[in-house]
Amino acid sequence: MHTPLRPSPAMRLALGLPVLAAALATPPTPAAAQERPTLTVYTYSSFVGRYGPGEAIAERFEAACGCDLEWVTADDAGSLLGRLRLEGASTRADVVLGLDMNLAAQARALDLFAPHGIAPGPLDMPVAWQDETFLPYDWGHLAFVYDTTRLETPPESLEALFTDPEGPSVVLQDPRTSAPGFGLLLWSSAVFGEGMADAWATLTPRVVTFTTGWSEAYGLFLEGEADMVLSYSTSPAYHRSVEDETRYEAARFAEGHYLHVEIAGATRTTDTPELARDFLRFMLDDGFQSLIPEGNWMYPARLPEGGLPESFAGLIEPGEAFLFDSDRVSAERRALIDAWLEATTR
Amino acid sequence: MRRAAGLRAPHPGALVALALAGLAAAAFGALIGAAQDRPSVLALDAYLRRILVFSLGQAALSTVLSLVLGAALALALARRRFPGRSLALAALGAAAVMPAIVVVFSVVAVYGRSGWLAAGIEAAGLAPRPNPFGWPGILVAHVFLNATLAARVFLDALSRAPAEHWRLAAILGFGPRATFAHLDWPILKREAPGLAGLVFLLCFTSFAIVLTLGGGPGKATLEVAIFSALRVELDFARAAMLAGLQLAICLSLTLLLHWAVTQAPVAPTERLPIARPDCADPRLRLLDLVVLALGGALVLPLLAATLEGAAALPRVLDGDLARAATTSVTIALVSAALACAMAIALAGAAQAARERRRGRLAAAYDVLPALVLAIPPFALTAGLFLLLRGRVGATEAGFVLLPLVNAIGALPFAYRFLAPALATSAERHGRLAALLGLTGLRRLAIVDWPVLRRPLAGAFAFAAALSFGDFGIVALFGGAELRTLPYLLYERLGAYRLDEAAAIGLLLVAAAFALSAFATRMARC
Repeated sequence: MHTPLRPSPAMRLALGLPVLAAALATPPTPAAAQERPTLTVYTYSSFVGRYGPGEAIAERFEAACGCDLEWVTADDAGSLLGRLRLEGASTRADVVLGLDMNLAAQARALDLFAPHGIAPGPLDMPVAWQDETFLPYDWGHLAFVYDTTRLETPPESLEALFTDPEGPSVVLQDPRTSAPGFGLLLWSSAVFGEGMADAWATLTPRVVTFTTGWSEAYGLFLEGEADMVLSYSTSPAYHRSVEDETRYEAARFAEGHYLHVEIAGATRTTDTPELARDFLRFMLDDGFQSLIPEGNWMYPARLPEGGLPESFAGLIEPGEAFLFDSDRVSAERRALIDAWLEATTR
Repeated sequence: MRRAAGLRAPHPGALVALALAGLAAAAFGALIGAAQDRPSVLALDAYLRRILVFSLGQAALSTVLSLVLGAALALALARRRFPGRSLALAALGAAAVMPAIVVVFSVVAVYGRSGWLAAGIEAAGLAPRPNPFGWPGILVAHVFLNATLAARVFLDALSRAPAEHWRLAAILGFGPRATFAHLDWPILKREAPGLAGLVFLLCFTSFAIVLTLGGGPGKATLEVAIFSALRVELDFARAAMLAGLQLAICLSLTLLLHWAVTQAPVAPTERLPIARPDCADPRLRLLDLVVLALGGALVLPLLAATLEGAAALPRVLDGDLARAATTSVTIALVSAALACAMAIALAGAAQAARERRRGRLAAAYDVLPALVLAIPPFALTAGLFLLLRGRVGATEAGFVLLPLVNAIGALPFAYRFLAPALATSAERHGRLAALLGLTGLRRLAIVDWPVLRRPLAGAFAFAAALSFGDFGIVALFGGAELRTLPYLLYERLGAYRLDEAAAIGLLLVAAAFALSAFATRMARC
């Protein structure tokens, strides 16, 4: 891990064990280094894990800002929001990176975020960006991924997938616990409108299971438990680039696809507002954006100079892109989930 | 809680009990307090009623199956000596503490559409494809986790049977039927209520297994509703109320179990290994063979499925893993020590109450450890964190809360191992100790320690293994500084690295196996 770990006295006291203290303690830093400001950025774990872009991003930002960037992680976007809710105004976060648009209204309601005050300029996204609190850093289409060696003719529309009783089996995520799972609920609501509940009732017999999160669902799919899995249109790029495996594809659906937009915002409670704003600006620069495609396996919010990597060539290009207003999402969440519960337990 | 009569200072166990109750109350209070701005009513809607019925049903069925198979396995293992027996015992312990996510993937690897069973069926030219999602998957996973636990606890108890009983049985020429009726059955019956309560609670509050293997939202537990209220809807009041509902249900069921079957423990004494008179019976020999085969068929494939992670082992052995392992070991050691200390204090208090003929108070101490499982760890953690908020940072809070919440989670297991040992010690030396005026820590050191030493090592290893594989609240408080092995597992799973996640899962199971083998050696059963 690039960022040095500094256990506080309280923590060492709490553990009282020399083993961990020794493992985590860092050599004393020179006085000059201690004056460097620290920017604390909250994110989800896979963003800064061994394969995430976090470490490289920190190096690049630190080289320019004369500061230290400290990543603090929670398991996923939901945990991130839960943690912010618990910490309230006492949070150490200067910037929170990794919420998605469907959580934006709830995050805003925490009254923890400050307006970013940045004109983002032209972005390479299917939707125009107007939000004054959050800025996007990457995005992708929700899509159903399948194994071409096992499923020869995938459905061509969301309607076909939902309503054809002979259709493929799918593994999905529970919308109550998972971001893409909730995204599919919104997608189905955009496509079916009033008929959403009935559509879910016809799909349910072919749903192998609803998992807690994306990881479990994708894992079950790779183990061969279902013909298709709800994931992102960019997932096949991972298999091509890392595994040199071309059998996985995302199915393009005629109605269009729902967007998953990942966002970041600066907190109102930060003691380094300038630095936080610098980071948000840096987030839309090439130095950050070029790490996104093959680090986070999503589309960069603004195309870096070199364009997209080779592994992204040949990914599906959906027609319409759905993205509901975040206030609408927040207002309808309970009703949508109740309708889904009713339909899937009929 | 009633205080001890007279001028006597409160027993440390009473303080532990008060502290646990206080922690739970404070956590609930903080949650409800933090939710003032969002008034919320708990409507017990159709869906909640439905999952309540389902939860009760699957937990009851899982409990019965686990206890029956566990008892049969324990009897078979008590009667038979065979090569590899100690490995089998270690496997039981490892299975009992396997992390839920690893169990889920193991069940799928063995019983899934493309699993080993499916491959076998296909090779045999048969048509039907297995589908583990729904009742089968939930039951297999729960019985795998809990029959193994029950077998360990029962076997522990059977091997502590008083030597005098066996001498008497030999003199009276007991056959297999009489042996079971007069020797084994009373022991099983004595352990069953506490164990049934524990297993029921574990299944009733099971989260990832029920959600993922259940196959649909109709098969869920209250824990899922609590989780979603707490994390997704950020509706703390609803979470607290659902948690209260869960606690109330578990409390009534546990009390019912204890009220139905409350017996003072018999007085076990140390004994030399005794050849059981029923070993030679051919029908029992056949029965044991069947039971052991059945147990092996349930446990071994699911354990073996974790070996699929071996291929990616070289890729996960790095600095990240070393640091995560260090953190995990530290947390496991702290929480196991804490769990054992709390268990000894509570068991001591129960014993003291029993000696003073305060049966109900003793029963309350016996019930408490299992009951804390009914408090959802997420709700407990969130509540406690709200209390600490502003005083310490989130990471520091994590370093305090993680071992504490894990210790509370491991407490009922530690208690099951330690309470009978303390009872033994009290029976054997209690009067002498009282005569000599030995009390408190001096009594613990001089009188109880020799009897307690081995079960304590076993309980410690079990609690450590349990805590080692716990993901639970790390999801909220994990991070660069607080990254445990299960956290690392999820991180890799979230980055498409399924194979590396499986390798970390294998390491967790291997660690549990090693700890369990150690516990088995110490228990000498």
